[in-house]
Amino acid sequence: MKNSRRLFLKSACALVVGASGYTVAQGPLGEAQQTTKKYALIHDETKCIGCDACSVACREVNNVPEGVTRLRIERKGPYGEYPEQYFRFTRHSCQHCEDTPCVKVCPTGAAYKDEATGIVSVDAWKCVGCQYCIAACPYQVRFINPVTKAADKCDFCKETRLKEGKLPACVSACPTQALTFGDLQDPDSQVVQVLKHTPNYRTKTELGTRPKLFRIGSQDGEVRL
Amino acid sequence: MSPFHFDGLVWHWPIAIYLFLAGVSAGAVFFAILLKQFRLGDDAYRSPFVQAACIIAPLSVFAGLGILVIDLTKPFDFWKILVFYNPTSVMSVGVAVLMFYQAMLFAWLACVFKKPLLAFCEQRWPRVQRLLKWLVSAEASITGILAISAVALGAYTGFLLSALTTYPMLNNPVLPLLFLFSGLSSGAAGTLLGGVLMKGSPDGKEVHFIHNIEIPIILVEMVLIFTFFVGLILSGGASKIAAFRAIGEGFWGWVFWGGIVFVGLSLPLAFNLFMKASAKRKFSYVAVTAMCSLTGVLLLRNFILYTGQMTVA
Repeated sequence: MKNSRRLFLKSACALVVGASGYTVAQGPLGEAQQTTKKYALIHDETKCIGCDACSVACREVNNVPEGVTRLRIERKGPYGEYPEQYFRFTRHSCQHCEDTPCVKVCPTGAAYKDEATGIVSVDAWKCVGCQYCIAACPYQVRFINPVTKAADKCDFCKETRLKEGKLPACVSACPTQALTFGDLQDPDSQVVQVLKHTPNYRTKTELGTRPKLFRIGSQDGEVRL
Repeated sequence: MSPFHFDGLVWHWPIAIYLFLAGVSAGAVFFAILLKQFRLGDDAYRSPFVQAACIIAPLSVFAGLGILVIDLTKPFDFWKILVFYNPTSVMSVGVAVLMFYQAMLFAWLACVFKKPLLAFCEQRWPRVQRLLKWLVSAEASITGILAISAVALGAYTGFLLSALTTYPMLNNPVLPLLFLFSGLSSGAAGTLLGGVLMKGSPDGKEVHFIHNIEIPIILVEMVLIFTFFVGLILSGGASKIAAFRAIGEGFWGWVFWGGIVFVGLSLPLAFNLFMKASAKRKFSYVAVTAMCSLTGVLLLRNFILYTGQMTVA
């Protein structure tokens, strides 16, 4: 009796460890989900003038309520002496990671990567509002939509402008053409051409997120260590 | 920086209380099983300490889940978590563990109280009695599975936070172990406090048994907290900043050194060693020691949750 119980406990432990190990290994080591298109965005910080036309257009097109935003341009500066003063502008919005921390942690699968476009989206109906994704996003771009009570963020206008065959609202609204949008899988697309010929960077890549928001760095500003 | 409101703060104190209650439940079950298996046997249900653990375990896990549901932005949609599962989500796996744990918990409770329950059902509900007898025949398996799911639940409370790569202090492999061991010690403290309040003897064999296990658990907890912060500091970068921001000067520094290290760990350890050396245990010693442990663990959950979210990678 005693030995059989011990054997049972041992095998149960082994089973639990094996099962949990399998699930965990499936996550980070498994291949990223293959999508037919991989939409990406480039923010050219050398062209951006910080006019906020992008965030205004986004709010209007996607019906984003007051108090929250899918897109924000952060300003740093001013640098230099008057009249030679300048600011630095950084885009703060969903990076549409290939290896998505938000999708991985979502308990219901409300956060998902769209198979056709590679766009990271939220199924507002499935979302229960546990806010795990908001905490898991290292770029801190997610928020609870005060109207739907679901997690919300930039989806490259998947449900609005892209459906009409147009470019995302921010890209069309930009007066200086600082934003380039397109498919990374298409070698002839403008995004691929720009990325091939211009030095660019992405943020927090050390976390393994493989973001698809590329940035062309401003030459202005201070040198920081 | 205000201790309770700052940029990047997503999860507030209700989550800390939920993590605390889940740990208490897992710990109480763990010690009740040990008491029954190694000290009391089939008469365990007569012991006020086992009775206390059997009340604390289901109530605290229910209260914790209730707090969790109320804290959702859509509380009435909570059933979607039970219907849709995502195997890569720690929260989703945790929900499955919690459901399984509760089912096993009630099966085990029926086995613990089999004598009075079988007697009660004798004439009234023969069908219920047959079900009970079937459960009792599988008691050994139920006990084993429940012990494993209690440990899994205790560790899950830590994995829930350590899965967040956003925060270098939380994304730490020691955290699940720390939460598991502090959860076990809070369960032991809850069982002791409940037991003496229910007129259990403060010098009984249950108290001696639990205190003997509590001393090494407190020592392990101290080693884990030390490893946790030294590990962060040696990692450098944002981890180091996060560690110093948490245990350095300020509100949370006081909570850590005064509330967790002194009241939560050092005092219970000193009291336990003193009680082991002195001849007799009194109600006040047992109760005060248990309350110190519980306070320390509750503070630890809040401290880790808040200071963890202060520094972003």
